[in-house]
Order: sequence, then C-alpha cells, then structure tokens
Amino acid sequence: MAIKGGQIKDTHIENLAKIVGTSAILYKKEDLLAYDCDGFTIHRHLPRAVVFPNSAEEVAKIVKYCHEYDLPFLARGAGTGLSGGAIPLNGEVIISLTKMKRLVSVDLENRRAVVEPGFINLKLTHSIADKGYYYAPDPSSQYCCTIGGNVAENAGGAHCLKYGVTTNHILGLEVVLPNGEMIEISTNGVLDPPGYDLLGILTGSEGTLGIVTKITVRILKNPEAKQTVLAYFDKVSDASQAVSDIISAGIVPAALEMMDKTAIEGVEAAAFPVGHPKDIEALLLIEVDGISAGIDEQIQEILKVCRSRNVREVKVAQDEKERERWWANRKTGFGAMGAISPDYLVQDGVIPRSKLPEVLERIRQISEKYGLRIANIFHAGDGNLHPLVLFDSRKPGETEMALAAGSECLQACADAGGSITGEHGVGIEKREEMRFIFSDEEIAAQTNIRDVFNPKNLLNAGKLFPTPGRCVEVKRNEKMK
Amino acid sequence: MSVRESDVKQAPACTEASLGNYLWNDPPDESKWADCVHCGMCLESCPTYEQTGQEQHSPRGRVHLIKSVAEGKLEVNEAFADPVFACLDCRACTTACPADVDVGGLIEEARGQIRQAMPLTGWKGAVSKFFLEGVFPHANRLHLLGRLLKFYQTSGLQKMARKTRLIHMMPEHLVEMEAILPKVKQPVRQKYKQAGMIQAKGETKRTVALLTGCVMDVMFSDINEATIRVLTRNGNNVTIPQNQTCCGALHVHAGDRETGRKLAKQNIEAFKDADTVIVNAAGCGCMLKEYPELFREDQEWREKAERFAAKVQDISKYLYDTGYEKPKAEIKTRITYHDACHLAHGQGIRREPRDILLSIPGVEMVHMPNADRCCGSAGIYNITHPEMAGAVLKSKMEHVPEEVEMISMGNPGCMLQMAMGVLKYGRNQKIVHTVQLLDWAYQKEDQQKVGESWR
Repeated sequence: MAIKGGQIKDTHIENLAKIVGTSAILYKKEDLLAYDCDGFTIHRHLPRAVVFPNSAEEVAKIVKYCHEYDLPFLARGAGTGLSGGAIPLNGEVIISLTKMKRLVSVDLENRRAVVEPGFINLKLTHSIADKGYYYAPDPSSQYCCTIGGNVAENAGGAHCLKYGVTTNHILGLEVVLPNGEMIEISTNGVLDPPGYDLLGILTGSEGTLGIVTKITVRILKNPEAKQTVLAYFDKVSDASQAVSDIISAGIVPAALEMMDKTAIEGVEAAAFPVGHPKDIEALLLIEVDGISAGIDEQIQEILKVCRSRNVREVKVAQDEKERERWWANRKTGFGAMGAISPDYLVQDGVIPRSKLPEVLERIRQISEKYGLRIANIFHAGDGNLHPLVLFDSRKPGETEMALAAGSECLQACADAGGSITGEHGVGIEKREEMRFIFSDEEIAAQTNIRDVFNPKNLLNAGKLFPTPGRCVEVKRNEKMK
Repeated sequence: MSVRESDVKQAPACTEASLGNYLWNDPPDESKWADCVHCGMCLESCPTYEQTGQEQHSPRGRVHLIKSVAEGKLEVNEAFADPVFACLDCRACTTACPADVDVGGLIEEARGQIRQAMPLTGWKGAVSKFFLEGVFPHANRLHLLGRLLKFYQTSGLQKMARKTRLIHMMPEHLVEMEAILPKVKQPVRQKYKQAGMIQAKGETKRTVALLTGCVMDVMFSDINEATIRVLTRNGNNVTIPQNQTCCGALHVHAGDRETGRKLAKQNIEAFKDADTVIVNAAGCGCMLKEYPELFREDQEWREKAERFAAKVQDISKYLYDTGYEKPKAEIKTRITYHDACHLAHGQGIRREPRDILLSIPGVEMVHMPNADRCCGSAGIYNITHPEMAGAVLKSKMEHVPEEVEMISMGNPGCMLQMAMGVLKYGRNQKIVHTVQLLDWAYQKEDQQKVGESWR
C-alpha cells in the first residue's frame, strides 16, 4: 500500500525500486517525514528514500548500488535508539530492516537462536518461554526494538548487571559490508576463538561498519527462582549507599534500579502507575534470581541493608503480577516523561558506583543552573546513569539549554572517572563528548578502523566521532603522502 | 485503498484559519501530541505497522505527520490522507503508550480536517454519503434495508444468487461478507415501540435506558433481545427511547464530525431523562463516552456531553458492577474471548466480560494469545480497506485456539468480521456475544425448572 500514483523522477529511486519492488520503497515527502528522526528527536533530516528489503541478498544489492553511485545510506530497525544513530544526517537512503523479522532457528540443545535483524527483542523470549528459555539483554524498549538495532548499539538493559550486555550474547553475525560484500563471522561456540575479535568490533559499532542480516544469539535457561524488592528512601544518599552496600555484601542482583523524585512523579502520572508515595526522594527496584537455594537469604540480606540505610518502606513482590506491575512502571519510564514534559533528552553516563551520591548532587546543581528539571531513572547497580533533561522545544532557546545541561552531566560522569555512554551509543548526540574521554589520537585510531570497513564513509557518516576529529585524520593523511 | 485525485473535488473555501495548515474549525488538539516523545513503545501494538513495517503507518509516525501539518511542514493532501485513513482506529497504541497519548482522538480530528479539505466524490463519495448520511441516521430506512435483506435471505433470492454465481459479480470481500450476514429479525425498537417501559422481573432495583444501535438492531436484534432479558431478570426496568439514533461512530471515524455532532445532540436529548444508558456494542459505547471530544469548541454542548457520557455503561461492566444472578444451569462448552478494541483499549473493560462468561457453570475458557489485537473489522474499515482488513483478520485467526467451540465478544462489527474469518479459514467456531451466552444459561435454567415442575 506504499506507492500509489505519482511518477518517480529520481533515477536512483527507480533503480532501487527495481531491487525491492515498488511497494517496498518510500520516496514521497509525506512518507519520508516519519523517518526524519529516531528516539532522539533533536536533530531531524529527511532521507532520500526508505527501502524495505526482504532478504540479505536484497540488502547486499542495495548496498552495492549505493556504493557504486556514492549514495550515502544507513540501516534502521525500529528507530527507538536514543542517540540519533538512525537519523539520515546526509539525506541517506534508509535501509529499513523491519520486513526481515523472521526467527530463523532455535537450537535449545546448544542454547542458541538465529534471528533476522528486524526480529523484536522481547519476541525472542516469548517464542522460547514455554520451553523454559529466554534472551537476557532487556533494554527498556524491548517490547518494540529490534535485535539488529541491539547489535548496532550494543544495547544493555536492567538485567545486564548480572548477565552482561548484547555483546556477551552474540555468537555469530552475517554482515553486508559497506561495499555490498557479504561475510559471516562466528565463534563456532569457542569462547576464545583465534584471531581478532571481529564480533566484538562489529557489535556496538553503531551501524558504521556494516549491516547485520542474520544474528546468532545465546539463549539462557530461565532462572529457577526470582524475587523482587521495592524500597523507598527519604534521602538519595541513603539509597545510593544501599546500592553500594548490596554489592559489597557479595550479592550480584539480576537488576538494581533507581528512580528519583522527579522520575517517580513522571511514571506515576503516566499509564502504568504503581502507587509510589509522592514525597520520597528515591526508590530502588532490586531483583535477585538463580537457583532456589539461597534466594531467600539474599533477600533477607538486602532487606537488612536497606533498613540500615534508613529505608522508609521496603517490600517483596507478593506474586508475578505485582512484579510485572513494578517492572512495567520502570520500563516505560522514559516515555512516561511525556506526561510531565513535552520533550526530554536522555543522557547515558557511567560512573563508579561509589561516586553515585556525589555525581547525583552535581546533576542536581546542573538542573538548578539551567532552570530545567532533570529526572533520574537508571541502572544503579552498574553505575549507568540516565539523567532525563526535561524541556519544551517550543520555547526558544530551551533545546540548546537542554543539550548544554546534558553535556554537563556527561562531563560530571567523565570527571568522576566514568564514561559518556553505557548502552545508548554515541550517535549524533554525544559525538563532541567523546573528547571528554578520548584524545585526538585515540579517536583517529578508531576512525582508522572504520576506514578499513567503510573506506568511502558512505555508511552512516557523521556519527560516533566528533567532526573536528577529521583535522587529525587530514593531518595524518598528509603525513603519509 | 487511498483517495484518488479523481475522487477529490475542488476544495471549498475555508471557514476560518485555525492551526498551521489545518484551515478548519476543530483542528487536531495540540495538547494531545505534546505528550508524545517519539519513544516508539506503540510500534508493536499497531496492526498496520505489523503488516507494513512502515513508520508512516505506525502510531508515532501518524502523530508526527499530524503534528507536521500543524507546523506548516505538510499540506492536507492525498499523501497525508493515506496513512491517516489507513489507521484502524483500534486504540491499541493508547494502551501501549507510556504517556497516554490519545492517538485515536488525533486521528479522528485529522480526518475531520481531511474530509473538509477534500470531500469524497465519485462512486466512493456517493456510497459513503448514501450510508453515512442517508441510511445509518434514519431508523426507518435502516429497518427497510433490513427488511430487504430479510427478503433477499428468505425469498430464495440468496440461494439463487449463490447458485447462479451471480453473487461473484461483487468484489471478493463483499462476497465473503454476504456469506456470513446473520438472519434478519424484527428490530427491538419497533417491537417495543408501544411498550413504554419493559418491566423488571421480580423486584425493581433500577431503571436503565438501552441504546439499541443502528446496525445492531437490524442485524443482531436477538442480541438486543438477550440484553433486555438479562437486564430485566436482574431487576432492571428497561426503556427504549424512541427518538434515539445512530451513535455516529462510523461518521466520526470517516471524518464527518459535523454529522457526528448532529447525531450526538439527538442522542443526548433522547436520553436526557435516563440515569444509565446501557450499550451492548463496544464501538457505540466508546463513541458515546467520547461525545465531549466533538464539542471542544462549544462549551454548552460540551458540558451536556460530559454529563451524558458519565451515564454510559457497557452491559458487561454494568452487570459486573451492580451484581447479577449467577446462572445455575450448565452449558458445557469450551470458549475463548476476543477483546473488542473499543471495549479493551477504548473503555478499559477486560475483566468484566470474562468474569460473566466464567460465572456460567460448565464454561471452560481457553486463553487466546493477543486477545486484544484488532480483528480488522474497525467499523466500515473492512469495506474501505479490504486488503489490510483481510491481512489483520488472517493474523487474528491464527491465534484462535483450535479446540474451542465458541468465540465470545462484545461488539457486532467484530462478530461479523470474526464470522467471516471462521468461514474463510475453514474453522467451525460459533460467534457469540457475551450477553447471549449468559442469556442462554438463564433460559436453560428456566426450562429445567419447567421440566422439574412437570415431573
């Protein structure tokens, strides 16, 4: 139902339509507008066209064509990314992978599954749940984000504290390289395969090194038991200390999440309220899982820690329903900000756990300085902060202020010995902030790697690295002449 | 199926500049999209996105386009109309949205602008005008159409049309529809015209007014009869205000908000004296509850509409809330339940009908995965967008459990669509309204009592 009427005037679009069929390409402004941004809405650019290949071979043909005619292009999954990785900065041809959404195979014996890149994260767990298995990486957008996108961004999630992020669950990739060549990379089940770790380079490369067309992932057996605790605190510092204490006590929770007062106001005003008290300063959502023996002891230990840190109220989920309610409230937290603010900018800093109280205090000062509210919803257990800067893009100047406030939050994380992104990727959003943690030479070393895969830089150009970084590249190239 | 150039006549001069490129009164409501932060949590809930994988056919994509017209980036034209009218209006996105964005409301408001800027002409305009303006709002004409249909069914014409294959002159999706049309009986609005109030059996606890619905009363008058029997059995006097009319949902879905308002006013007046308005069609109930949306620019009627909307109750929720006699007779059957979009997503009613069904001894309920996924009926969507409606129905039918004998639901549009699905995919389930099953249980109980007293 995509194309009706209207003559195609762009010969490139005509030729791309020959590859995928006229019903699988969009080129009218009204249709393209829906692709001018992803979950990061501050930058908007129209693509030249959007194509919907149905197979890896079609992807390869499209890429080959773009490579031959020097057309910028990029891949897009569900477009839920939060750093702008799928925004067509250079009027790219968007290769949408939403039609390649098949579950290719499940191999329970070897605990692996093969999916196409457009397959939805949570659907994998749903497809194997009755057999007692699941797919561990669980970004909050898992209801709708694609595993291909997860690979590009090396997505994390609430339960990555114990189980690791996407890269720890990728066993093999089929990739279309930026020149249209197709390659397969696999560990063949070897934990430390010989040679360079190409899977590691590709996972989290933010769509700048190639387009994955098939993914082999690790699947896990459901934990025997699972318990979830909700704890309300009157002081952020108490909650932060409790986080450190829990980890110091030798417990590795499956998840250890924090929300502050502004965040709680948001989720309670939105579609999945739990009934959290409005006057608390912070809450912790803690989950432990594993074999049944020992779970109760861990819960008792967690309750003890919370009490020693002046918790106002702490409770254990009584049943699966209550647990699900708590998680739905947490996982829809970002979108819920829409209920209290027209726009938000989410940051993704990482800090050493012990610096939590200090950095949260600095974020509060930044919020005051800019006069913008900042909500905090984050993975406290691994020190992965998500300050959400609330703003109204309709007010002149506020977008710029939000960006500046966000950048300052990242500076605070870097100053504390942390990093500028934990799981959302750099994309467009944090290009400049890469300088907080890398020198020019270190950035150049990385663009060198990119150039090996993507020498024409047609694939997702302008992402991941600061633009002035090119100065170094130019200098270096001149030296090599 | 999109609107073609040839279907569009010259746009009439606008009444009043209102918002960006929306040139008419009653434009899409800015505060509705202000909550959308483009997070994408709605994507997987959307049946048209599931089918196409294209973002302009997703809730956030549509909201983005609607907003872009207000910002002057897009015109109200055919290319804008296509995604806006391809929406099923199933409201699943409203359930999925973390920020409660009223996508359905925005879609209907945008459709209102589109239909004013580019009125339908040609055959499509004529057909649409004939049904929306000429038939649905006029009870007598609808009943006449019902009688014609009945004549078609009973005179042998139907048999002849099917036998001679003359029927295949029609487009395929209409042939499929013809095959499942229920037997037409006498509408309850005619039947009880002289009756005034239908008295409660036993002690009177409350008095309620019944919205008979337009299509419901012609195609499914036996469901209306069942509703009346169930209500009176549970201590309710039932009135059927004679000047009530079509709820206007189909008009509002089609972008004809002006007729929608006219019908709304007539219904608000017709039910002026009622304390409770009972509805057994989810689509109608949802529309009645949303009447205030039609009068955003008319304070007097908005307040009237708000008072009216507060009186509207779906039959299942009303029975659940006020308490109903648990049936004693056993109906031994295995069923599944389909959530009508405008009941589950539109009115938040999920537990109540299931509770009623499970209160019947012998009924075993099998869970249907994705029970609250649209079936593709969506008012007259299955007539205007047969291809998409067919694809949505196909994926719905894949989820109907093999082993059930009946599929229960609370909306006539879904009943027709699911009946079509059963026929098309060679299944053998019977399609029933929730209240019908309860009514059968009561009737069986009464028959058993008669049987016992005979002995």
